[in-house]
Amino acid sequence: MHQYKKSLRTIQNNKRAIILLISLMFLILCIGASTGSSNTSIKDILSIIGYKIFAIPLAKGINNNDVAIIWNLRLPRVLLAFIVGGSLAVSGAVVQSVLKNPLASPYTLGVSSGASLGVGLLIVSGFSIPFIGKLTMPLVGFLCGITTVFAIVKFSSIVDKGMSNTTIILSGMVFSLFFNAILTTIAALYSEDIKSIALWQMGSFSMKGWSYVKIGLPFFAIGTIGVMLYCKEMDILSFGEEQAKSVGVDTSIIKRKLLILSAVLTGSAVAISGTIGFVDLIVPHLVRRIFGAKHKNVIPICIIFGGCFMVFTDLVARTIVVPSELPVGAITALIGAPFFAYIYLKKSK
Amino acid sequence: MLEIKNLSCGYDKVDVVRDITFEAKRGELICIVGPNGCGKSTLLKAIGKLIEYKGHIILDSTNIENLNRKELAKNIALMTQTNNIYFPYTVYETVSLGRYAYLKGSLSSLSKEDVDIVIEAIKSVDLIELKDKLISELSGGQLQRVFLARAFAQNPQVILLDEPTNHLDLKCQVEILEYLSLWAKKNNKIVIGVLHDLNLVNLFSEKIVMLSQGEVIGKGTPEEVFLEDNLKKVYNINVRGFMLKALKKWQ
Repeated sequence: MHQYKKSLRTIQNNKRAIILLISLMFLILCIGASTGSSNTSIKDILSIIGYKIFAIPLAKGINNNDVAIIWNLRLPRVLLAFIVGGSLAVSGAVVQSVLKNPLASPYTLGVSSGASLGVGLLIVSGFSIPFIGKLTMPLVGFLCGITTVFAIVKFSSIVDKGMSNTTIILSGMVFSLFFNAILTTIAALYSEDIKSIALWQMGSFSMKGWSYVKIGLPFFAIGTIGVMLYCKEMDILSFGEEQAKSVGVDTSIIKRKLLILSAVLTGSAVAISGTIGFVDLIVPHLVRRIFGAKHKNVIPICIIFGGCFMVFTDLVARTIVVPSELPVGAITALIGAPFFAYIYLKKSK
Repeated sequence: MLEIKNLSCGYDKVDVVRDITFEAKRGELICIVGPNGCGKSTLLKAIGKLIEYKGHIILDSTNIENLNRKELAKNIALMTQTNNIYFPYTVYETVSLGRYAYLKGSLSSLSKEDVDIVIEAIKSVDLIELKDKLISELSGGQLQRVFLARAFAQNPQVILLDEPTNHLDLKCQVEILEYLSLWAKKNNKIVIGVLHDLNLVNLFSEKIVMLSQGEVIGKGTPEEVFLEDNLKKVYNINVRGFMLKALKKWQ
């Protein structure tokens, strides 16, 4: 095992490993787009993409119906799943390093409970912002999720000037529990809306077209590029605050920036898809185990692994009980929970 | 020269150490001694600017209050007591983090010179053969040396050590202190360590600052500080008698 781990560590800067990972990403994306109620070959998918983007004539045998299914339904869905998975995994890696706790996740910071409460209130009130219509829900989810993180960071800094990790984790728990309690109360009072709230919380990528991809992409780009700028600081923060300070990191400023970037990533992911758990927890964990802890490697690989994992689970969610569809949040947890238990038990042996 | 003038500090607005004044000359290894809970580690954290303090800390006529974190890290390195491992970094990766303050820009990587300094630091603590090993797989003593190497990699003027010989066997303890003492003399730098073992303190330190309940009880050479009265007052046992009894048994 050690030998295996070592061999992967030594190839971590190798171009071959990078090419391998990127090809894996494309393969999974293509498989995701090709599989479904009507299967389309990967060659045909490439032809459709070429036709739509570069106006290259379609290959023989592809009809307009296929083009519509692939271009309007599957491709945006697969890309969306990838963006959400990548965002959650990167966000998880950031929070784990900042809180130097391999078991922390962005949900520890109350993003999902804040977003859920906002969306719950929205569903109950039936309110919709003019002009943006169906995008009201993700927008409210995003704003509430991110506001919760700000509130938790602010609250922690008031309670404890040094913003120690315990304070942040405890504040996150307090806010989460409180918001969940409000949501439960609301759901009990408006029982006819329980189903919509529960469905939103379970997460799904269905019926979300290019408009969601266009909204999600800028947040994903800003978040991941922003995080990439702080790889060294995350390495140092992983050793704890005192050590980070003594090698020259201005911990409270850097921590705040990283938590906000992580909130942007998780907030937008939750807004797009609902609260999907476990990706943020297990992907960074797995990546660190295989490729080592250096964030210069961990972050990009988390994007690829997280994205691919989400595309795969979404594929399972929509193909396993055709023609109906399972909520992707349930599949990630169904695959994620036993897997995580396995890793954790193996470690503690 | 490092001057500590009227320094008071603590936690939650309660001063744990009060009105501490002493100075460290270049080339010196200084030990801070005293019983548990007397404020040794707190004093060390204040000198490393990890906690807020009142008073002045002046390094070569610069008040460290005016230095930002990176500038400070180039001047003062601190090896703290708790070194928990949460993530799988290698020895080399860990030590190379000591060069952080010297990097320009967030995307720059280690220069050839940085790499040489890191390798030299790892060699100096005798871990070069383990440089690609994960730190989670090291023994307590080896880990201690990794963090010491990281402090060396910072290339500071002052190294502060909180019980650096913890987890080390006798041979390692002696070697580390010999090395630190030599490092200070050869490079004209300052080492300030919190140590519990009075024998080691007696053997290796040029100067001692003895604390009791947050205040300085004595400072100076071991001969000047380790007086029967002082020791009795601070440790509440007959230290000299105990040491001699132990020595007799060895003979």
